[in-house]
Amino acid sequence: MVAIHDFKQLDEYLFEVPAAFRKDMRVPARFYSDAELLKGVITDNSLLQLINTATLPGIVKYALAMPDIHQGYGFPIGGVVATELPDGIISPGGVGYDINCGVRLLATHLNHEEIGPFVDDLATILYTNCPSGVGKGGSIQLMAGELDQVMSQGARWAVKKGFGSEADLERTEESGCLDGANPAKVSPRAKDRGQKQVGTLGAGNHFIELDSVEKVLDADVAQRIGLFEGQIVVQIHCGSRGLGHQVCGDYVKRFQKMIARYGLNLPDRELVCAPLSSAEGQDYLAAMKAAANYAFANRQVLAYHIRRSFEQVLAGKVSNHHIFQIYDIAHNMAKVETHRIAGKKVRLCVHRKGATRAFGPGAPELPPAYRDIGQPVLVPGSMGTASWVLVGTRESMARTFGSTCHGAGRTMSRKKARKTIRGLTLREELEGRGIHIRAGSMSGLAEEAPAAYKDVDRVVKVVHEAGIAKKVAKLKPIAVIKG
Amino acid sequence: MGFQEIEHTADRALKIFGGNLKELFISAAEGMTSLMVADMSGVSGEIEKTIEMDAIDTESLLVEWLSELAYWAEAEMLIFKTFRIQNITVDHLAASVIGGKLPALEKHIKAVTYHNLKIIKSRRGLEATIVFDV
Repeated sequence: MVAIHDFKQLDEYLFEVPAAFRKDMRVPARFYSDAELLKGVITDNSLLQLINTATLPGIVKYALAMPDIHQGYGFPIGGVVATELPDGIISPGGVGYDINCGVRLLATHLNHEEIGPFVDDLATILYTNCPSGVGKGGSIQLMAGELDQVMSQGARWAVKKGFGSEADLERTEESGCLDGANPAKVSPRAKDRGQKQVGTLGAGNHFIELDSVEKVLDADVAQRIGLFEGQIVVQIHCGSRGLGHQVCGDYVKRFQKMIARYGLNLPDRELVCAPLSSAEGQDYLAAMKAAANYAFANRQVLAYHIRRSFEQVLAGKVSNHHIFQIYDIAHNMAKVETHRIAGKKVRLCVHRKGATRAFGPGAPELPPAYRDIGQPVLVPGSMGTASWVLVGTRESMARTFGSTCHGAGRTMSRKKARKTIRGLTLREELEGRGIHIRAGSMSGLAEEAPAAYKDVDRVVKVVHEAGIAKKVAKLKPIAVIKG
Repeated sequence: MGFQEIEHTADRALKIFGGNLKELFISAAEGMTSLMVADMSGVSGEIEKTIEMDAIDTESLLVEWLSELAYWAEAEMLIFKTFRIQNITVDHLAASVIGGKLPALEKHIKAVTYHNLKIIKSRRGLEATIVFDV
């Protein structure tokens, strides 16, 4: 365990464990927090996990964690690690099993009053149309060879099939398709797991949520991205399903042999890695991209099901039931990016595990519509609490490799949550507050209870005050659909 | 032999025990199954699978063994209640497993991780802690 006296406070919201703390650390370990969040950070193993990542070969500047940091496996959740090319490492565990788990935000032209009488029907239809839960197949039948197209083309494949528009792609990270994906690097078992799951939500902490925009905090940016107070919006939180889980597992297994080959001295086998320049590193990157594209396609098909559901329930009953996309962003990914270090441009492999890319104004990677305001960042809160829309800043480019938080972050174990919270009681309580719940598993609902998470408003306050993202709008839930 | 769930903030973790490798692997399988299914009474015994695998070491073998069982749960909602390990060495396993399909599962095991995974000798024989991504 790491104690308070083991780290120093660099400024109001930034803390550092010096590289001298442990012999195997190559760089310091830094994390964003405040006095309240810090209490949670030091009671689980998340700081130890962060320190472990500071030992990885090729790491530059510091190992980083966002204020929603919590204990994961290998890397902490909320962790950011950048390694320098060509020989810095890539680590499958630094991305996680749910490759390109992420969030898509869709917006309507409707306000809360217009949609009010239909929310319950909408929740029911969304639950029916968007398959969720363990092992549930999707409503999309892939033809022979089509899965390879999904992995090569990502959301573009879905748009070609009629599940969306070019406007959706423009407002998706990497236009919904990472170049360099190679389905041949994905195992038959991973493909088998992915074959029937395109357009499915899965279980765990994944959800679809109807929200209303409770408060706009930056009117200019909100208007530019298409948000206004009282507006109904929809969040999708999910990833690459069984295909991504298998890709990660396959490469964690294959990379175990790299420990001896590259003489790696790792404090945890889950941190296993290979130089990005090696054949193994390149293979993983190509497979990870294929899984990431699958996730972009998955969220695109789910967005289609959501549009279909709105049409079924609202057509002819409201002024305009159409939906447009605000943004789609990953929070489990490794990407090769150019950053400036000590005045020099360097190519880095930036791992974000439970952290969101948050590129600031002027970043060439952003779509033209957002280039001058910064990239939208989508931060879902815990069930029944607020979510946030932020934008990236120039400070995030300088201080966090263009990264910020990804959610509230857990604070209570799933075991304790199930023991102390009853799913049925929680559902009644949420419904009493006007939040419609559709969930396949009551124990799963209990595990995701708001009490099991940190206060997302506090997490967002830290990144806003620290300057690594800027508040745009706060959302409040009106319906939650879970597996 | 046996298992015990331990606290983990984001995922699920089990401590497993066994007098020898065979018992340890059966404890792990039963433990993981208990996370996926609360009530085993609906699991028939009509489906049998044979599993044979090699790995670079015993910890990897344990991850592979559990990953195989988690795969069948996800792919076919197939849950096993009898685990017959015919042969196990430090890097090889041969087993037959018997179970049946369920209409729904309590929990999805996304993956079995290597996080701090080490099989150690203890008073009770062998033990290990396994973290599951859920």
